[in-house]
Amino acid sequence: MRNFRYFVSGLLIILIIGCFGCIENNTNVKIDSSNDTLGESIEDSVFRRIWDDVPTLDPHHVSDTTSATIVVELFSGLVTISPDLLVVPDLAESWDISADGITYTFYLRDNAKFQNGRKVTAYDVEYSLERALNPSTMSPTVKNFLGDIVGSDDVMNGITKKISGVKVLDEMTISISIDQPKAYFLSKLTYPVSFVVDRNDIEKNDNSWFLNPNGTGPFILDKYVVGEELILRKNPNYYLNLPKLDYVIFKLSGGSALAMYENNEIDITGVGVADLDRISNVDDPLNSEVVVAIPGFDLTYIGFNVSMPPFDDPNIRKALAMSINKQLIASQVLLDLVVPANGILPPNFPGYNLEFNQINPDYEYNLELARELILNSKYSNNVPRIIITVPGMGGSVGLDLQVITQSWIDELLLNVEIEQVEWATFLDDLNARTFQSFAGMGWQADYPDPENFLDVNFHSKSPLNHTGYNNVNVDTLLEDARIKQSWEERKLLYNEAEKIIVQDAPIIPLWHSGENMVLIKPHVKGYLLTPLIIPKLKYVYIEK
Amino acid sequence: MVAYVIKRVLWFPLVLAIISFVTFTMGFYGPGDPAMVRLGPKATPESIERMREKMGLNDPFLYQYTNYVFDALNGDFGESYSFSGRTVAELITKKIGISFQLGLAAMIISIGIGIPLGVLAAIRQGTLMDTFLVGFGLFFYATPVFISAPLLIMFFGVKFHLLPTSGWDGITSLSAIMPVIVLGFPGIAVMTRLTRASFLEVINQDFVRTAHAKGLSDFQVNTRHVMKNALIPLITVLGLSLATLVEGAFITETIFGIPGIGRLAVDSILSRDYPVIMAITLIVAFAFSLTNLIVDLLYCYVDPRIRLTG
Repeated sequence: MRNFRYFVSGLLIILIIGCFGCIENNTNVKIDSSNDTLGESIEDSVFRRIWDDVPTLDPHHVSDTTSATIVVELFSGLVTISPDLLVVPDLAESWDISADGITYTFYLRDNAKFQNGRKVTAYDVEYSLERALNPSTMSPTVKNFLGDIVGSDDVMNGITKKISGVKVLDEMTISISIDQPKAYFLSKLTYPVSFVVDRNDIEKNDNSWFLNPNGTGPFILDKYVVGEELILRKNPNYYLNLPKLDYVIFKLSGGSALAMYENNEIDITGVGVADLDRISNVDDPLNSEVVVAIPGFDLTYIGFNVSMPPFDDPNIRKALAMSINKQLIASQVLLDLVVPANGILPPNFPGYNLEFNQINPDYEYNLELARELILNSKYSNNVPRIIITVPGMGGSVGLDLQVITQSWIDELLLNVEIEQVEWATFLDDLNARTFQSFAGMGWQADYPDPENFLDVNFHSKSPLNHTGYNNVNVDTLLEDARIKQSWEERKLLYNEAEKIIVQDAPIIPLWHSGENMVLIKPHVKGYLLTPLIIPKLKYVYIEK
Repeated sequence: MVAYVIKRVLWFPLVLAIISFVTFTMGFYGPGDPAMVRLGPKATPESIERMREKMGLNDPFLYQYTNYVFDALNGDFGESYSFSGRTVAELITKKIGISFQLGLAAMIISIGIGIPLGVLAAIRQGTLMDTFLVGFGLFFYATPVFISAPLLIMFFGVKFHLLPTSGWDGITSLSAIMPVIVLGFPGIAVMTRLTRASFLEVINQDFVRTAHAKGLSDFQVNTRHVMKNALIPLITVLGLSLATLVEGAFITETIFGIPGIGRLAVDSILSRDYPVIMAITLIVAFAFSLTNLIVDLLYCYVDPRIRLTG
């Protein structure tokens, strides 16, 4: 009889839990049926890819690449980044910059419209900037991207709701004044936190308006079911050239990406290390569909807490920096999928210093010198245990980091351990600067200006300076570079700052991503592989 | 009987209160800040602080807990921390349904194939057929999901393009076939072996011999007498395997890209999405409490010797 009890118990649990599913299935009839219609009627103009659930669709909350990739297709701002990585007009048709470099006057396009057909005016731009800066919006990035605007602090501190530096000159003209003549300000306006949102949307439902937003981007959010799929639909009211795709389907439920690609369930996928040999083989049928993506603008590094032993002694940091055989690890361990990083700025990024990075790198692999530096450090033969913390869930740590730490143990006779903590705890401790050293994360550029790498990560006052690095000379160089108008002058200042930072070694730059293999179905045309997130789905079309 | 039911029902709130309190305490005092996870690594300390304030995370523990309890009592499980603008109810209801459908279908496969094979093996005890069926079952039982799933994907998806390799279009769709096989086939082995053992135990008992002596055919004896008695021990395993199917769905859901509750639960824990974690825990706890009560009540109907006393 006990057996019967177990059986009925299990069955009832399942049935009770199942009831929730029954309820929900009924409420989603509309979604399911729209999906069927989609599959039948417009098969030829659909682009499908695998993606992750987006942390947010509110442009003023975006701080991650997963969300940004979608949001740049739904919304737009005054300016954007073109496929050749230049800042180009978007909602603004043109702009003037005052002689002192402080005031930008933007002239909006006459035909700029929201997705519901309403005209975009300068008041919408003003409202959007005010909303982004308003403390109740809680934008995580607004201080970094819009904090240069005159009066932004007063809005962020809740003193006023109006930005004194933003003025509507007429319905189609708006001026924005910044605190100093910062040449990269326009680049900052390409980030989602500067995008235009519809006031009516937000006033109607501040809490979840972005789940059915009236944006200005080339695509409309057609459907988003968490963990299942996110579908974009062509915006017929788009003010520039209309997108060629009717729908874009982002599959969010996971699965094996390569198998899905081979089974024609998705149209694009990256190629992982495990599949590299197979796909590289010219006899493999997939080989003809390989496209080589240009490297992303990013940097993977090991960071040191410069106020914590033993990294409070620069000799230790320098010794570790010069005891990594980056070339060997890049080719043998990471199969040349990465480019060894000697400096901080990635190749082809504005300000990249070829001489410093490749011809005469500051730290070359030199074990003898590294040992000498350790002996000359204040810790000499008694270097405390080094713990490198990485985000993870108990899985294997990156092979490159394992090789690096093992070489420190074997060659420098140091006591080194890698410790994994899961993401939430990692973020917490990273911001609190409780790590002795950390790895497993990197920096990806938001806009093409060296300020976005060097100032944001290494200025002593930057909230994103996780190492606690503080060098007055570097601060001065970075501050000077902010306001120089000549690109050549700025470049020199950034090069100098980068050189000092690398010498001080608050981080060890490890890798920039290299050329990656991407598989794209032959019928997909116009897909741009760019090192920055830009609105690019409008260029894609299907040719069958 | 009525007194017993009332007494048991009165325990429900206490059980749920204890479970919710323990879960809430673990979330409150554990490491990791939901506001920081929500805003990401580029967030400034000011915005994190504002988000904490908005989420109510700066309130005292008891204030937060009682607020949660009162809202939950009113059917409001709150809004997800990770998916802004989404209520917890909206997130979990459909996903629980999907996991349920998957688990139930897999269980039907296990029973539907496992029991007949077990009977066949028992009837043909000692023959090549018996050895083959037991071995066949063990093969599936010993194959882990992360081996069987990619093999099926490679064969039915990549090579022959017969089935989709990921997604979920409902239990009656093609997308359900591979996950149901992967989840259900190991259960076939369990059912086959247990049915066989149980059948063999019954087949040698006196009442079976009597049935044969009455002149009944083998088929009649096996279906009317042996089967009925042999199935009783299997019910234990069935009850337990139901729970295992739901628990074990996480890996299958991940490999086949099924938007079930397993993945949501794990993701919620990693992103400190406390409202979702709390809701899932409470629903499962409630389901267990309720089913235990119903089972106890059914118990006395099935076995009249049992009396429930308040």
